[in-house]
Amino acid sequence: MALMALELGLTNSLLLISIIILTLGAAFSIKDRRIGFIASIIAIVVSVASLTAETYFYGVFVAAIGLLNIFCLYISQNQIKGIDYALVALMVLATVWVILSNNFAVILATFVLVSVPTYVLVLTGEKDLKLEVGIKYITFMVFATVLFLIGSLLLVFSSQVFSAQASPILYIIGYVFLILGLSLEVGVAPLHEWVPDVFAAADAIPISIVASLAKIVPFIVAFKILIATSTPLTESITLFTAFLAVVSMFVGNIGALTSREHGRVLGYSTVANMGYVLATLVAIVRLEFVYLAIAGALLQLFANSAGKIGFFTAIKKEGMGSPFTYALALSFIGMPPLMGFWSKLFITLSLVNSGYLWLAVLLVLNSAISVPYYLRLARELGKGRGTGIVNLIGLLVTLLVIVTLYPPDWFLQGVKGVVVMFGISGISGIS
Amino acid sequence: MILVYLLTLPFIASLLAPFLNPKKATHLLSLSFLIPFVGALASLAMLSTQEINLVSFSPPVGDFYILIDPISNAFGLTVCIVSAMVAYYSLPYMQHRFEEMGLGSDEYRKYIIIFGFYAASMLWLVYSGNLVLLYIFLEISLITSFLLIYLYGYGNRRWVGILYFIWTNVAGVLMLIGFIVVALDNSSLAIRDISAISMVAWLLIFVGMVIKLPGLGPHIWLPWAHAEAPTPVSALLSPLTVGLAGYILLRAYLIDPSFIIAYRNPILVYAIISSIYAGFAVFRQTDYKRLLAYSTVSQMGYILIGLCLGTFGLIGVVIQYMSHAFGKSILFMTAGGLIASYHGLRDIRKMGGLHEYVPSLSNAALLGFMNLGGILAIGMFGEFFILRGVVDVFSLANVGLILAIVFIFILSGWYSFYTLKKIFYGTPKAMERPKISRYLDVPLYLIGILSIIFIFPPLITMLLNGLKAVIGGGV
Repeated sequence: MALMALELGLTNSLLLISIIILTLGAAFSIKDRRIGFIASIIAIVVSVASLTAETYFYGVFVAAIGLLNIFCLYISQNQIKGIDYALVALMVLATVWVILSNNFAVILATFVLVSVPTYVLVLTGEKDLKLEVGIKYITFMVFATVLFLIGSLLLVFSSQVFSAQASPILYIIGYVFLILGLSLEVGVAPLHEWVPDVFAAADAIPISIVASLAKIVPFIVAFKILIATSTPLTESITLFTAFLAVVSMFVGNIGALTSREHGRVLGYSTVANMGYVLATLVAIVRLEFVYLAIAGALLQLFANSAGKIGFFTAIKKEGMGSPFTYALALSFIGMPPLMGFWSKLFITLSLVNSGYLWLAVLLVLNSAISVPYYLRLARELGKGRGTGIVNLIGLLVTLLVIVTLYPPDWFLQGVKGVVVMFGISGISGIS
Repeated sequence: MILVYLLTLPFIASLLAPFLNPKKATHLLSLSFLIPFVGALASLAMLSTQEINLVSFSPPVGDFYILIDPISNAFGLTVCIVSAMVAYYSLPYMQHRFEEMGLGSDEYRKYIIIFGFYAASMLWLVYSGNLVLLYIFLEISLITSFLLIYLYGYGNRRWVGILYFIWTNVAGVLMLIGFIVVALDNSSLAIRDISAISMVAWLLIFVGMVIKLPGLGPHIWLPWAHAEAPTPVSALLSPLTVGLAGYILLRAYLIDPSFIIAYRNPILVYAIISSIYAGFAVFRQTDYKRLLAYSTVSQMGYILIGLCLGTFGLIGVVIQYMSHAFGKSILFMTAGGLIASYHGLRDIRKMGGLHEYVPSLSNAALLGFMNLGGILAIGMFGEFFILRGVVDVFSLANVGLILAIVFIFILSGWYSFYTLKKIFYGTPKAMERPKISRYLDVPLYLIGILSIIFIFPPLITMLLNGLKAVIGGGV
């Protein structure tokens, strides 16, 4: 216990150090933006050093995605040069923090911490501020955050104050609010209204951050709260989540199949991918296999992030080497041995284990109908040979999706170790 | 044990090949398949059965291991020899195709690496001891073959490529869901740890594999894909890839035959109808490669039929796979030989009497059709065991069924000689006598000779003893 406290103490102080580094970096980047760039990288590295053995691979993936985001910002222009790196580094810190912490206040804070920096980032652009898109995005996000926070408070309240039998209504309202807030935040249909518009109209690089790094924390927070507050009621209300997931998969894939504009296709692809990830929340009905669901969800989020960063960079710089675009497209489709295959395998295994065979079948069917538009993206974005720097990013994101060439039992084992600690201190579910 | 190292050779060779000139690259790749061929043959001769762990994986996925037994050796040696020969054949053929498409000969580097991975993934598939591993190799073979069609195919190659990809991907994922249900019931996907396959899982695997095989109905993708693929790819797709669906069904049957036993009669009727329908469809074709594709659908019906006929039928499935692979690869290569010699000649109505001009291809085609018809080649044993299976399972009294199956065999021989007559015999049309590269005909004869010496001891006794040892039954 003492050792654990010491470990946690060390973790917290390392996280604190990285916050100080990135704040100073952002402040001094007014002189030279490279200071902000380097300080943010150091902050990310320090935060990864704070991780425990079980969360190590998770942290490395998150850091890799964050570093790629920063690198993409570095090669493009915007109005807040220097600060933008620190904002991404802050999001990385929040994403690292959320996996370690069981404190209710902290995990809600991380939710806000990954959301707010994107408000600023979406506004920025190459030449002028993207005000119209930014305001649309911010309006939806504020609404999402409020719904999510109210939902989580209701859930925690209902499980602490009353027994589940006493306040089923409160639990159900809380659950629905939380799921709706989450859906609005990450872009699950039918609350996906903002996604295709914002993705098509905003600048490609900031939006690649919204599509990648910003998606991880909301799901982890949702998992932690739902696991901690799960009651026998969860089993019946879960159908609601399953339903949203299916709607999202179909809306996303059909929308992407019928859109031409690349940004819009990627927006719909996000809607579909968030549907796959949302589906994993049904696994809470049988906690012994929830680690498969979380491992699947995380890998799906990482694969989605790698793909989105690659494709958006290709849009921004007009072309990338075709081997990279094809590798990303095949990972999205779920071809082994790429990461997108393992994530879907784990997700389907967890769904079947939770008794949702029909959902698993629909998920797999959806990844089959997504084939044409991903191949189209790969072909159209993989046209030119691309410039050196774009191909470097292409190479890095491709490396990220092919690390699973070695079957990712290592990731599964890590998640298994972390999940036993999932939850919120002071609250235990009645299941 | 040595075989495992030999199996890695094709992957290594495919990665090295792009750095060599086309001729050396081809020889290297072919050699990398011939060495494991010898290994598989030796392993078959020794009746060895081994399991070699690769990676351990926690439940519900289970350990990844290499499964060596006479069945995988029989499939493995077929994959090796056909891939090696088709690799030789690719050298002049693809150079001809690149010229036709206006691509430089540098394109061969890209081609050989994709081709090598395609063939190697099929080889690994038949040695996979875990269903997830098996699925991984199935999908690698799908991606690579899709890319080859998409990049170098004929006609509307992009459309055909995507058609092929979607159909076979749906087949693959249905099978995967089946596997996942298996994982739930057995909490492992390692073949040695699976004790039962539930009806739902069997249904998903079966439907998936019937799409891939393909049976009548879902077969619509096959004539397009096999006809429009560049010929060396057709010569792997049709002989090797689709039949692997039969291999997967065979493995599932050996774990738990409940589904096939429960629905034996409907499956058998469906398989017979599928085989006869496709057999007659052969006569209607005017494109040589499309004709061969329909013949594949008909031949794959044999595999489904064999699956319903107990232990003898299963032995028939393995031999049928080998014989069809030998025969069909030869035939697709003769079609390719004509395309390369006569500038894209595929229309049968413009052919006739070609024996006069291309005797070496004509004789090779005869060897190929002998395999399909089961005449003096290994296909003979395939037909024998299928018939033995009918008698065993349904008894001699069921004359109608026996006649139907005999009719399928006759139909195969019938369309074989009909095609031979249309293309190679009869009155010669006014054509020139082309010069044919040795690479375009010698590989065909090597496969043909192998298919004939396989009906004599010691090869046939070795094969049958091995299959009997795993599958059971008196031979």
